[in-house]
Amino acid sequence: MKGIVKGLGVTLKSMVEKKITYAYPDVPLEMPDRFRGIQHFDPEKCIVCNQCARICPTDCITLTGKPNPDPEKKGKVIDTYDINFEICILCDLCTEVCPTEAIVMTNNFELSTYSRDELFKNLQWLNDNNTNIRKENNSAMDKGGAK
Amino acid sequence: MIRTEELLLNVGPQHPSTHGVFRIIVKLDGEVITEATPVMGYLHRGTEKLAENLTYTQIIPYTDRMDYVAAMTNNYVICNAVETLMGLEIPERAQYLRLIVMELQRIASHMLWWGTYLLDIGAMSPFLFAFRDREMIINMFNELCGARLTYNYMRIGGVKWDAPDGWIDKVRDYVKYMKEKLNQYHDLVTGNEIFLARIKGIGAYDGKTAIEYGLSGANLRGSGVQWDLRKNQPYCIYDRFEFDVPVGKNGDCFDRYNVRMEEIRQSLRILEQAVEQVPEGETMGKVPRVLRVPEGEAYSRIESPRGEIGCYIVSRGKDKPFRLKFRRPSFVNLQILPKLLVGENMTNLITILGGIDIVVGEVDC
Amino acid sequence: MSDENKESAKPPMTDEERAAKIKAAEEARAARAAAKQAEAAAAGGDGEEAPPKQPSPNQPKLDRIVQLITEHVNADAVEESFINERDRDLPYVIIKAEHWVTSAQLLRDEPSLHFNYLRNLSGVDQETHIEVVYHLLSLDHVHEVCVKVKTERDAASVPSVTPVWPTANWNEREVFDLLGVDFPGHPDLRRIMMPDDWVGYPLRKDYEPLDPEV
Repeated sequence: MKGIVKGLGVTLKSMVEKKITYAYPDVPLEMPDRFRGIQHFDPEKCIVCNQCARICPTDCITLTGKPNPDPEKKGKVIDTYDINFEICILCDLCTEVCPTEAIVMTNNFELSTYSRDELFKNLQWLNDNNTNIRKENNSAMDKGGAK
Repeated sequence: MIRTEELLLNVGPQHPSTHGVFRIIVKLDGEVITEATPVMGYLHRGTEKLAENLTYTQIIPYTDRMDYVAAMTNNYVICNAVETLMGLEIPERAQYLRLIVMELQRIASHMLWWGTYLLDIGAMSPFLFAFRDREMIINMFNELCGARLTYNYMRIGGVKWDAPDGWIDKVRDYVKYMKEKLNQYHDLVTGNEIFLARIKGIGAYDGKTAIEYGLSGANLRGSGVQWDLRKNQPYCIYDRFEFDVPVGKNGDCFDRYNVRMEEIRQSLRILEQAVEQVPEGETMGKVPRVLRVPEGEAYSRIESPRGEIGCYIVSRGKDKPFRLKFRRPSFVNLQILPKLLVGENMTNLITILGGIDIVVGEVDC
Repeated sequence: MSDENKESAKPPMTDEERAAKIKAAEEARAARAAAKQAEAAAAGGDGEEAPPKQPSPNQPKLDRIVQLITEHVNADAVEESFINERDRDLPYVIIKAEHWVTSAQLLRDEPSLHFNYLRNLSGVDQETHIEVVYHLLSLDHVHEVCVKVKTERDAASVPSVTPVWPTANWNEREVFDLLGVDFPGHPDLRRIMMPDDWVGYPLRKDYEPLDPEV
């Protein structure tokens, strides 16, 4: 009996403690800056180096480039850029290897939809996803990260 | 005398107390189990096969998904195996950060076990207490590496992120807070007579059997075998810290419970020492840009919250492993289950299964 | 990110950048080669002096294991033995399949060895043959050994050590399931991870998945 009474004492004490639950769907959750959410993509910065597509462990990034429309300039510019969020695991490796920070993480994480097809996000959508962009992208890693 | 007919009962695959998709077929004589056959593989994703086509950096996020309540130790074991094979030096600060996150992870994992185990045997409120305090660790990890469960934090040669400003102090405060709360846990549960009646003397085995079955972690120590890789075959920088290895005596569920609770206290002790010593400096060692692991093989083993997790790499000098094998403690520990269940009452099935502390993601890999 | 200068300056600089990058890469390569040479020289220098010093602290242990097996089991039971320097000087012993069970019993029961803990059992498809790798540990003496048993790829078969170490039970089932190695003497050899009616052995190198998309 003693043990049960002791346990009840703990329970009673906790009743008067401060509430610790979140009111999540009603009040949005604040995530810390390093949080790995849905990527934001900036086509201006992309140099079509393909590193993000190569490092992706689940092969969820597909991209194509086209020759630079400005004949003065060499190199390629990005044409299409898609991430399949059905299989993306938000592991942060694409943003780690990106040499120009064209792809960066945001703190947005709400992806639920009624159809799986909607999880296939294109360049436009990723570009528009420009809120809560992560400030610090690669603290410890070298530029370009490990491969 | 009443003769009862034998009954074949399917526990799982979708059962709240199997902590994943895991099935046990039990043969019952009345309420007594006469035979138990575990069936697994429902969560088999073929991590080992996938890894053969991935570079070492790409494998790290996959290891997060094996033991998803203790992903930091999984990160460490693969990094450690590759580092051993390449002979890499890890900067001091990275070593300390790794140790701190691994010990925090051990506490978080044991707390999750504590909460769910008591939930399994019918106590609701401990679960809420455990999750309240575990949430703080998860939030700290979230601040550190941007994810709550699948951290992908360690890299070959170091760690991805340095600790943010004030993070170490948060750990220090947490250790103080948790020490107090641990006593509260004991007040709440450990002396409870109903709880004791449920788990004392249940699922007992001796140390010899535990070694024969290759058990590790609290399952081994609970039966009195003094074996902790952190102490006996130190890795990382564990040899610099003072801590004790708790052992049980009877090898029953209650001893395993006590060992795990005491391990939380010892982990807090290690953390207490570690946060005072963290040096400044780099968090990433000198690593070639393309990781080509020299030809050869290595087996790396560490003490995860569930026991000895190992990683056996066979490399052929490429940037991808030729063969990668994980020794998963849950998988090996689970082997003793059919032996323990025979002759037990059906109600003890969950008590015993919970006491082994498995994560099905790791059993199936 | 907000640095507009950097942004606008990026595209025209590609050429220069590339040149710089190539140069940097070349330099790095040269540095690496130099480092390697220096290392090789150092190793060579060591190699000349090392043998009289001590080859490996585990060499006597390995010799003792090999000696015991050849004495008590069979003179040609040990195919090969070496020290794996890369893995903390772990002793490796390769034992012939037909002598494996008796050797296993010796490894476990001999008081000076007492390998009572089978910590890991894995199978490796080496393309020319299949290896079953046992990592053994003695909890009392705190020493380790790695034992390998080789078998052919067709009709792969290695005697089971489940009677010696009960741990081997599910591990052998896993190797059977994923690599198709038969373990005669195993009490309950059937698939463990894959469904019972699965065709093929997924971890073999020549395995072709049914549907690459899945």
